Amino acid sequence: MGVPELLQFVVSGLKNGAIYALIALGFSLVYSATGVINFAQGEFYMLGGMVAVWAMRSLGLPLLAAVPAAVVVTVAVGALVERLALRPRRFEPPLVLIIITIGVSMVLQSLARHLFGPDELALPAFTPGPSVVVLGAAIERQTLWVWGLTAVALIVLWLIYTRTKLGLAMRATAVSHDASRLVGVDTARVVMVVFALAAALGALAGVAVAPLTQTAYDVGARIGLKGFAAAILGGLGGPVAAVVGGLVLGLVESLSVAFISSTYKDAIALVLLLAVLFLKPSGLFGRSSREKV
Amino acid sequence: MSAPTAAKGGVLMSKRSMAAACLVASVLLATAGCASPASTGDTGESTSKEPIRIGAVVSLTGTYAGLGVPEKSAIEMEVARINAAGGIGGRQLEVFYEDDATDPAKAQAATTRLIEQEKVIAIIGATGTGQTMGMRGDIDRAGIPQVSMAGGNAITAQFDPLVFQTPWPNRVVVPFTLSYMKAQGITKIALLSDSGGYGKDGRQVVLDEVAKYGIAIVADETFNAGDTDMSTQLTKIKAKAPQAVWMWAAGKEGAVIVKNAAALGNVWGPAGNEAARLFGTPGNGRKEFIEGAGVAAEGFTFAAGRILAPESYGAGSKPYVVAKDFIDRYTKQFNKAPDIFAGHAFDAITIVADALARSGADPTGPKLRAAIEETKGLIGVGGTFTYSATDHNGLTERDLVIYRIESGAWKVVE
Amino acid sequence: MGGAWRRHLPAIVSAALAVVVLALPLAVSDRYLLKVFMFVGLNVITVAGLAVLFGLAGQVSLGHAAFVGIGAYACGFLTARAGWPWPAAVVAAVAIAAAGGLALALPTLRLRGHYLGMATLGFSMILGIAFVEAKAITGGNDGLSGIPLPAFGALDLDPATASYLLVWGTAVLVLLLASGIVRGRPGRAMTALHGSEMGAQACGIDPIRVKVTAFTLSAALAGLSGALYALTVGFVSPTSFALETSIILLAMVVLGGTRSLAGPVLAAVLLTLLTYVDAILPGLSKEAVAFLQDWKGDIYGVVIVAVMLFAPAGIAGVARTVRTRLGGSS
Repeated sequence: MGVPELLQFVVSGLKNGAIYALIALGFSLVYSATGVINFAQGEFYMLGGMVAVWAMRSLGLPLLAAVPAAVVVTVAVGALVERLALRPRRFEPPLVLIIITIGVSMVLQSLARHLFGPDELALPAFTPGPSVVVLGAAIERQTLWVWGLTAVALIVLWLIYTRTKLGLAMRATAVSHDASRLVGVDTARVVMVVFALAAALGALAGVAVAPLTQTAYDVGARIGLKGFAAAILGGLGGPVAAVVGGLVLGLVESLSVAFISSTYKDAIALVLLLAVLFLKPSGLFGRSSREKV
Repeated sequence: MSAPTAAKGGVLMSKRSMAAACLVASVLLATAGCASPASTGDTGESTSKEPIRIGAVVSLTGTYAGLGVPEKSAIEMEVARINAAGGIGGRQLEVFYEDDATDPAKAQAATTRLIEQEKVIAIIGATGTGQTMGMRGDIDRAGIPQVSMAGGNAITAQFDPLVFQTPWPNRVVVPFTLSYMKAQGITKIALLSDSGGYGKDGRQVVLDEVAKYGIAIVADETFNAGDTDMSTQLTKIKAKAPQAVWMWAAGKEGAVIVKNAAALGNVWGPAGNEAARLFGTPGNGRKEFIEGAGVAAEGFTFAAGRILAPESYGAGSKPYVVAKDFIDRYTKQFNKAPDIFAGHAFDAITIVADALARSGADPTGPKLRAAIEETKGLIGVGGTFTYSATDHNGLTERDLVIYRIESGAWKVVE
Repeated sequence: MGGAWRRHLPAIVSAALAVVVLALPLAVSDRYLLKVFMFVGLNVITVAGLAVLFGLAGQVSLGHAAFVGIGAYACGFLTARAGWPWPAAVVAAVAIAAAGGLALALPTLRLRGHYLGMATLGFSMILGIAFVEAKAITGGNDGLSGIPLPAFGALDLDPATASYLLVWGTAVLVLLLASGIVRGRPGRAMTALHGSEMGAQACGIDPIRVKVTAFTLSAALAGLSGALYALTVGFVSPTSFALETSIILLAMVVLGGTRSLAGPVLAAVLLTLLTYVDAILPGLSKEAVAFLQDWKGDIYGVVIVAVMLFAPAGIAGVARTVRTRLGGSS
């Protein structure tokens, strides 16, 4: 097996990995401010892709307008979910909120089936054209968009965390809601902004991936699971950890297919994840856990 | 009849069970209020004859929703046509639909409901193979016929005198496709199959049959539903230099594979290797596949029935008229051309209706079963059905053709 | 009010309910209703175990459907392929599921919250792959069929009635056992643990042992539910033990309320019936049934969200509030 093949395995792994990373970023963002795993994150991904297709087909919008439309709609849904379903119960234990997000994801998935139908839908590539060849490995142009989006999302989130008042408020909220309120942080608003950001991230991921895979009303659950695994692997420890978790998961899957077995690639990745948890109970980059489930 | 109770295990010796008991009591009352004998006829002893009651178990939600929804549409459309034309033997057809949510246990419960509460004399369904198999126990106990729209081999290979099947099973599709490959001079193929029921079933039949055609399998890879990239599998496959890659993917992963292969072809092409040809299965005969794969689908080859190109029957021939009529009516009513699954459902209701017409004035489950088994030369859109005491699939390779995708549409090549 | 009868009232009510539940087949001849109530009973058995695990040991599992699957395949294989009598197969299936629970409980002891959730989820997904791939035992995607209905010796019962009685007879015993654990020394130890691990340790209770016991017990009960599922449904398919099933089971526990057995059990009853609403409301028109089936996902999701919004402590929490308002007993 030559260098081009090896490189191709890595490209494939990093492509899947970047998709997982984008979802994991959403999980990690919400978790960092609320201590809650938002099981509706996968549905934000689904909504992004579906709304974009709908905007192009039914409204006749060009792709350039459909993408922001999809993000706006999904952000509105995310903010609404936070305001209506989560904020009234924000002082309950995280498990109550997690179950609420599970209920929300059921509703969103079922609504999407009613609105957009049960079939898979295609979205055109952002920049159509033949794949790019690097050292003998082929890279689809859309994959470059997914990687670019992951990099931009990582940088923007990192800047928000470390360089803005909002980031400070988010970090404060994560440490203690009560103390943050005492020093004048509007924690409710912070959590809502975080949800909106997570929804935007999910929608962008869904839009960027749809040209590669098509989209359907039920794509959220599976991708959400992968993103959750990536976030846990990273250790729920901030944007960098989430992205590393996603890329590692993608690479492990791809290399398992390449060198062990395509049938057992998911099992191999999961066994590895379990092994990491057994050895390091709070993931690769997680600090010792502080949650109260 | 007394009220069904919302059974509740309240044996907790804790004081909390008090409150629980109150809640249960209210549930009991609520259900008691609504419960009524299940056998109330629709019109009681009206002047017209009672409708013939048929059940349909389809996946309207869950993984197979994309298959089950057009199936239900096709059955509804055909039943409306039969009833508008005066029904069967002067009796209307009444179909009771149940959604199995792509879950075998729900399919079984639905079967029990249709038999117990709706007193149906035949059941069409299910959409999927696992769901179809899950229904078998209740079908056997009730002794009524079942006409499945799922293509799994197990359905008619694990023979049951009550169970019939409308799609081309893989043991018909595989030899047909293999003989085409052989005719094309292909001797080395790679398999890339879905780890779900469809792919696993097909892969097994290919492994069993391939030697007869002098074809070798040089690579055997799988993927999972929902996977977003298969270039690693394709790269491994390419290293074995097969002449054809046979893909078993009925869902959206099919388009992913075809696009990945096209992207990789950009690398392989200049290296001097002729790109391997891509083959598929009847499950790829959906317009969503072509839309998803785009230009990458050009040259993609698969076997399926003639529903995708009824003109291949020869314009004016009887099968052509049947298929064209179904396609036109379906397209008009649902603003969408029927896919092969709608066709399987149309065939199922057509078979049941045809057998009912031969079952006398008062059809029962056993009479209907016998009539279905005697189906002979019945023209559906999936082919011409002839069942027998040993063959409950009724289709042969004659009902299949090879399609190739050219300029974004499938064309009959043989 | 008189103390003596009042103290015994819950026991009397519970016993009366048990009698009503077990006598139901005398009044209901519709086999579909019996089957639906049987599914309710199967979920009640699993949820009782999860309630002990979560409510009393403070642990969350996102993978218990896998233990149901282990029990179902083990029992199905032993009866249909190995020719075992069904009681022996059930015992073996429960033992195998319990062993699986123990095997997962030991390495995950250090995990908490979401990490434990992921570990149980991962375990169940690995088993999900095994259910498909171990074709010789499980029948793969085609499923394991031909499982004989249990025979009850001389008793000649209608299969639907026999299945119902088998499941609910077991469920009643399981609930007796579970309530014994809740009220007995083990339950008090587990409750102490939920409050404070260090506190429990200070009282001479070994938190590790309690956690491992609770997890193993809940896996065993899930396996028992699966074994009865295989016997009564007669067909086992890998799609029945997917993540959605685990999540619904967990939702039943949380909607029922923590530190309670009656709450989760009632939630299991109501949530299971919600998916078979056409069964308990036979007067519905065809259109209404079709509508309810079509909107099932939304209805289910809305119910879950609404319960958590209006009663975050679950059914048990509502019951506690009502009791306090009424100025009831302690």
